[in-house]
Amino acid sequence: MRCSKCGAQIGNSYARVNGVLLCENCARDLKLDDMFRRTSSILDQAFPSLGELPGVFSLGSDLDFANAKIRCPRCGTSLRDIETSGELGCIECYNTFNESILKNILKRQGSSEYMGRKPGASADIKLEAEPDVSSEEKPSKAAKETLAPEASEAKPEAKKEEKDLLEKLKKADLGTVPDDTLEEGMKQAAAAEDYELAVKLRDELKSRKGDN
Amino acid sequence: MWYENEGKNKETVLSTKVIINRNIKGLPFPPKMSDADRENVFGMVRQAAGTLGLNFVRTDELDDTAKADLFNQFYSGYSFLNAKDSKTGFLLSKTEGLGVIINSTDHISIVSMVPGTDIATAYKRADDLAVKFEQTMDIAYTDKFGFLTSQIKSVGTGMQILMTLALPGIEKTEGAVQVLSRRAEKYDWQLIPMTHSDGLRESGIYVLANLATLGVTEEEILEGAQKIQTDIIKLENTCRKNIWTKKKILIEDQYYRAYATLRYCRRIEVAEALTLVNWLRLGQDYVDTSDADVNWNRINKLTQRVRRNYQDAGSKITRPKDKSTVRAKMIRDIMKGGQES
Ligand SMILES: [Zn+2]
Ligand SMILES: [Zn+2]
Repeated sequence: MRCSKCGAQIGNSYARVNGVLLCENCARDLKLDDMFRRTSSILDQAFPSLGELPGVFSLGSDLDFANAKIRCPRCGTSLRDIETSGELGCIECYNTFNESILKNILKRQGSSEYMGRKPGASADIKLEAEPDVSSEEKPSKAAKETLAPEASEAKPEAKKEEKDLLEKLKKADLGTVPDDTLEEGMKQAAAAEDYELAVKLRDELKSRKGDN
Repeated sequence: MWYENEGKNKETVLSTKVIINRNIKGLPFPPKMSDADRENVFGMVRQAAGTLGLNFVRTDELDDTAKADLFNQFYSGYSFLNAKDSKTGFLLSKTEGLGVIINSTDHISIVSMVPGTDIATAYKRADDLAVKFEQTMDIAYTDKFGFLTSQIKSVGTGMQILMTLALPGIEKTEGAVQVLSRRAEKYDWQLIPMTHSDGLRESGIYVLANLATLGVTEEEILEGAQKIQTDIIKLENTCRKNIWTKKKILIEDQYYRAYATLRYCRRIEVAEALTLVNWLRLGQDYVDTSDADVNWNRINKLTQRVRRNYQDAGSKITRPKDKSTVRAKMIRDIMKGGQES
């Protein structure tokens, strides 16, 4: 028997989840019990609302509770209702709760100004077609061993010495690089969004831990 | 089905969905509407439908086949389609993947879906319809808040973008999901692991959704979507390649085991099937596939059909064992290259 996540041979202890076998490590890694609690499958909602997803809707903590008694004169919705459901009842709610609720979402959304288009007229957006990234990097079956394309260029704001370290690591025989340099490089590579290098460094580090 | 067409970056992006919400002035939002209000919306929408070239249907008048079609095409959830006396409806278009849901969370929810990453097309279709609604109806809007919606989270542009991604490489790379989540948050997007309606995790499947709808232009949201999407595909490719480089034999072994099981199984659960499809996805571009008859279209079709199946969601077949038998038959047919309609 093999673990369906990592493919390792499974010993005596494993988890069987609805027909899927997992080794003990993977089952623990996946925090399965935690996963099972997140039952909101958003495409199953008629209208997938972010508010129903865990961690998205986090009003509340700094709500102004002096306003908790106010209700919308039109539909009767209270601030507490909005807090729990993330829903307003009608257009008038937007006037009623203006200050108290909107301050909060706006903080998260970064601005209080509406910036989108006006009704009845298209914004006339000219988007460039997205690159077909997959085919660009796809190895041809004949040459499966071809090397990686150039790693993504470092961010301009990255400090000079960081760039230097990453450049050095890219060329270095990783077997000769000390642990702490690898660790530092891994952090910097992740920060510079050079995932390819970050993954490489991490694997090197991991294989060393395995050796000991 | 719209998702059976070949999409760009289909190896990683299953679909891109744009939702635009609009409400009609003078009526409460659907959660607070009376039956009379709901009928009122039906009347107005029905009138608009004619000029928009759309076909209005009430949910309570749909037969099982029509419901199954709406469900399988991802327009709507099972409970929404089968709720009693809910007075909801749809406007259906001739364009596959484009439709409007009536009286869900908002009066009008325009849904536009494309396979792969073609966000420009998905947006344009939805926005064209939105503009037409705004021209023919009195839509709730203020200069300060933009389009007013029932959900605070979509006020402003009223637009949500949801990309469904298959990320076996990232998922099997330690720490990569966390890196990706942080990256998404930086752009004000959120990465959500997908859960099947049976409550189990859909292995390798994630949804990426935009958070900001106010204080950003539509263009900024769309450009952000393209940027983060490109990053994700690159990261996923890197991870797949890295796993392959490290564990060629293991990947090839798992690929063929997955192939054989899917091709010949007589009974299979959703979670197991998706896990196996994941191995196919991981190996498809790298493994010498000459002994397997698999292509990307088949992999994607398999993924969507297993995830989304009205027969499964409905209670017509009640015994899980019978469901798993029917599912296995469907999977075998796809693996054989059948139903290639
Ligand atoms: Zn494992
Ligand atoms: Zn109200």
